[in-house]
Amino acid sequence: MNKKLIGIALIAAIAASLTACGSSTTSTAEVSSAAPASVAEADTEAPETEAEKTEAEVKTDALAPGDDAAGFTEYPIFEDEEVGFLNVSAVYFQPVPMSGGNENTEDFNIHLEADVSALENNLGFGVGDWVPYMTVDYKIVASSGDTAAEGSFMVMSASDGPHYGANVKLPDADTYSIEFTFHSPEENGYLLHTDAETGPGGSFDEYFKDGNLKVTYEGWEYVPQEW
Amino acid sequence: MLKYFVMTCEALMISAILTGACTGYAEQRYPKTGKITLFVGTVLGILGAAVMAYLKNATKLIDTSLWNMRNFIAAAVVLVVFFLVSALQKPMKCVGDFLPPILLCLLPALVIFYALPDVLAYPYVILLTEKTVLSTNFLLKTVGILFGLAMMVLIAAAVRRGMRRLPKPSDFLMLTLLLLVHTARQISVVLRIMLTKRMISSNHTLFSIAKFSSNHDNWFTFAVIGIAAVIPLILLVKYAKITELYHNPAEHRKLRKAQRMTRTWAGVILCCMVFSVLNLTSIKTYANRAVELSPVEDSVIQDGNVVVRFEQVEDGHLHRFAYVSENGVQIRFIVIKKPNSSAYGIGLDACDICGETGYYEKDGQVVCNLCDVVMNINTIGFKGGCNPIVIPYTIENGSIYVPIEGLLAYEKEFK
Repeated sequence: MNKKLIGIALIAAIAASLTACGSSTTSTAEVSSAAPASVAEADTEAPETEAEKTEAEVKTDALAPGDDAAGFTEYPIFEDEEVGFLNVSAVYFQPVPMSGGNENTEDFNIHLEADVSALENNLGFGVGDWVPYMTVDYKIVASSGDTAAEGSFMVMSASDGPHYGANVKLPDADTYSIEFTFHSPEENGYLLHTDAETGPGGSFDEYFKDGNLKVTYEGWEYVPQEW
Repeated sequence: MLKYFVMTCEALMISAILTGACTGYAEQRYPKTGKITLFVGTVLGILGAAVMAYLKNATKLIDTSLWNMRNFIAAAVVLVVFFLVSALQKPMKCVGDFLPPILLCLLPALVIFYALPDVLAYPYVILLTEKTVLSTNFLLKTVGILFGLAMMVLIAAAVRRGMRRLPKPSDFLMLTLLLLVHTARQISVVLRIMLTKRMISSNHTLFSIAKFSSNHDNWFTFAVIGIAAVIPLILLVKYAKITELYHNPAEHRKLRKAQRMTRTWAGVILCCMVFSVLNLTSIKTYANRAVELSPVEDSVIQDGNVVVRFEQVEDGHLHRFAYVSENGVQIRFIVIKKPNSSAYGIGLDACDICGETGYYEKDGQVVCNLCDVVMNINTIGFKGGCNPIVIPYTIENGSIYVPIEGLLAYEKEFK
């Protein structure tokens, strides 16, 4: 009888520890202690801003409310950097298969994503609209100064909407700097009405006259995960 | 095939050694209950892993990091209780022979539950690219996984037999060392999960520990292999001579048979451990080696164009050409005649996603050298995804004319 009681008590204790730990799926912490610095700029200028505090949130419920999607947790790199008419956030999560022959995920560590939305502008985009037709280059530089990964994002849709993204091979933990370069939508043939009656009133040259738009974030403390 | 063999072994190495060690220890120390409880633990681990593999890949329910963290914390609790019970076994006679093996059986169950789901999901991952189970590639890769699983079963069995024959208290010492290394790894992984999920605030010290442990994660595997390799050494020393007393030739023969068996299993463990080290170093490097691209073929420079004649490329295979810039940069492009068509797929030997890594031909398909994505040959020459970067060209008089100016625009792609 005693043996059974002790056994039951131990199993109950283990079960309690299993259910108690890690039940929170959304957490927030200030990441300013690592002194990340964000710089948004045009190609020809480099106006550095001060290192700012970022309330970065690990979002588990990226889908519609009520949709149980613990497997889709976005890990923020930076949020709401503003450059030109763009508001830019960067997140990553597990490598994902994509259509068009891009189903392979086995050689990649993360899916890197640039979420780009429009700020107040006279290009016809509503505030908060996703901005299409851009070529977006990414470059990830290790603390040694070596380029760890670079390329151009593909355009795609996930369950939370359209974005620029790519599966990236980034096997080493390090403090990286990450740079996004935004080319004008006009380069890919995006047109604006230019007449007074129907045109939005602006032109892409207003924002891209000094070259491509860039957002750089330094101090991304990255550790590979088991997905 | 080899790549998946290595991947399977790498994923399951610690689990196999720990399962073998726990089972062998339990069988020796708790002969009445050890065997059945450890069998139940192993089966539970495998069944749990199968369910987890399904949930991870077929549903959105599983946050792997959180589950791993729960698993590791549960394992740590079990480990602490096991050592407490082991230490208090004499004064606490009531725990008898049943509680330590129950605790021990939970360790292989948890470690298998952690490591096996990814391996069980490999066929699903392969199918994402292969599309059908009837392809040769799917078959070969699956065979690699099966060989890997067989290797791990052999390692678990060999370590189990070795542990069962170890003298006391070296069996307890070996098991403790193995579990401590494993727990150290689990602690480092939990730290990484908590930092990434921002459950704790990062600081320089914590991040340095996480970074070091992540970039040297294979050290834990090699440490476990190293400790397991000591088991046969102890056995070989102990069983070098027959020291037990025997009263007749029959008993002597029995002892000699036990000695032979022990030395055989010691040899098997040693061979397995040496092979495992080779597997995770040299063989892994070989399995992941980059494919050597076919050489650049001759072409003619004419009026600011690189000219390729149809006769050079009309065999339906992938052909590689290049122009060397004034800076000495070789700017490569590929040409392939499209199947059942007179059209040619022409593009840079680089893509936006993977850079200048290039493409190679395998079984009539064009494959990206970095990400293994198989190109649709009919879409080569169109923009998007991992397709070759589109370059300007014209076709005249049975030749392909690629303007040098158009190639130079992509000089920066080839460093």
